[in-house]
Amino acid sequence: MNAAYFIAPAAIATISAVLAALISITDSIVNNYGDVVININDGSKELDVKGGANMLVTLAETGIFIPSACGGRGSCGECKVKVTSDIGPHLPTEIPYLSKEQLSENVRLSCQVKLKTDVAIEVPEYLFKVQQYDGVVESIKDVTHDIKEVYVKLSDGAEVDFRAGQYGQIEVPPYGKIRERTQRAYSMASVPADTTHLGFLIRLVPGGIVTTYVHEHMHEGEKMKVIAPFGEFFVRETDAAMICVAGGSGMAPFRSIFYDRIAKGKMEERDIWYFFGARTEKDLFYLDELKKMEEEHECFHFIAALSEPEEGSGWSGETGLITEVLDKYLKEIVPSDQPKEGYLCGSPGMLDACMAVMRNHEMQDEKIYFDKFA
Amino acid sequence: MKMSPEYVKAQANMQPGEITSDGFLGDDSRPLVDIIAADEEIMASLGITFEKAVERMHYLMDEGRKGLEEPVTVDGRWVVRVSEARGFLASPFEDGIFRKVNARVERAPDGKPTGDVLLFSELSIHLMEKYHFLQGKGSPFRIEPSSIKKVLEL
Repeated sequence: MNAAYFIAPAAIATISAVLAALISITDSIVNNYGDVVININDGSKELDVKGGANMLVTLAETGIFIPSACGGRGSCGECKVKVTSDIGPHLPTEIPYLSKEQLSENVRLSCQVKLKTDVAIEVPEYLFKVQQYDGVVESIKDVTHDIKEVYVKLSDGAEVDFRAGQYGQIEVPPYGKIRERTQRAYSMASVPADTTHLGFLIRLVPGGIVTTYVHEHMHEGEKMKVIAPFGEFFVRETDAAMICVAGGSGMAPFRSIFYDRIAKGKMEERDIWYFFGARTEKDLFYLDELKKMEEEHECFHFIAALSEPEEGSGWSGETGLITEVLDKYLKEIVPSDQPKEGYLCGSPGMLDACMAVMRNHEMQDEKIYFDKFA
Repeated sequence: MKMSPEYVKAQANMQPGEITSDGFLGDDSRPLVDIIAADEEIMASLGITFEKAVERMHYLMDEGRKGLEEPVTVDGRWVVRVSEARGFLASPFEDGIFRKVNARVERAPDGKPTGDVLLFSELSIHLMEKYHFLQGKGSPFRIEPSSIKKVLEL
């Protein structure tokens, strides 16, 4: 056999190996940024970290979790951090997610910023309390045809400290055609006093990666990671009547809030009007416990409304879109001279529609609280 | 068919893990322009235009939004639920970002659901409207021309 048949492939293999080694050496030299310092909130914290990775991941490795609904893939635009030192211009991958004001204030997407030099940033103080918890799915059950209640028991005796109304990010493993672990954010439905559990209400979003996993694959006993608590949606302690509006899985933060107030003996301190919208009876849930809550607490008023009640169902409650029912109550039933605060949970469209109704009834924007999705 | 640099980049962005975990192409290994050309042919053979389909999808999305995340019956012919998840999706053609708004449209003559469902997002309407891209075979958000015709009643 001709030796050339072996020499040519061997030569190509040798050249490839040399090139790979050169690339590896060059990469380690060019991309070695050494140690860098992250100065947080004007010296409140200083972190010595290894440079080269993105800020979101680096901060998470030191136990500071910036909210991120996409897990750092640059698609959700949530991991915003204000940078107060010079780290160069915004990248094309950041600009679409930032408003003019945010661009002028040098707000950056932390998943897109590679740490190459010392950097100073500002983050909300509450993020220092956010932790990653390992847990086990203790229970998962249907509360409607498309909403599941999931309770996670924290592992290793861990305890979580959160305010009713806040949210957590749950992480699901790869499945089917989904090749990566995926995180999404959901409001806690559990009570803060139960420090060893986190509960969520998860509605199936057609085509949604995490909701499909929860509805079709998740089982009791499986391990799960939760990063929590996030968000600044919680009750402001005033005497104003709380006007709360939700639909579907937007029930979660309110359930947590109401039971928290009961646990703290605060349910009789102020009027609470809770408006919950659904399409038909099969979309309603926790009805009995909310009615019981209404019977036991004079200040708590629960108004469920169906937009399309089924014929012959005998529904005797309110009908119409929740915004129409809210409008009716603010016009005719809730005392008009009572100071009011709005508490909303839902999509931007739902929030905008509710805020328009509240504004019409002279409720002030700065007293309407919500966790807008984006 | 030769692809422009814009389409080469878009096809790269459509791979799993780039913009979405499972990508836009499913099991389809054809060049992007061939996928589009083949779907344009199927749409034409079914006698439906992209413009008409997109117009109806916009209409149903707008009507569905009025349900504030709950399903609504539209014109007594469809049950539409529009839902929104946190965050945005970038267009693989790098020409914009879109909220994660999905519409689930079920044909329901006389208000009776038939099980014929079309699922689309704000981004998928944009890709259809501007590029005639219905996504690759096997993609979870692939919009089949036959479903467009049947569910949208075109």
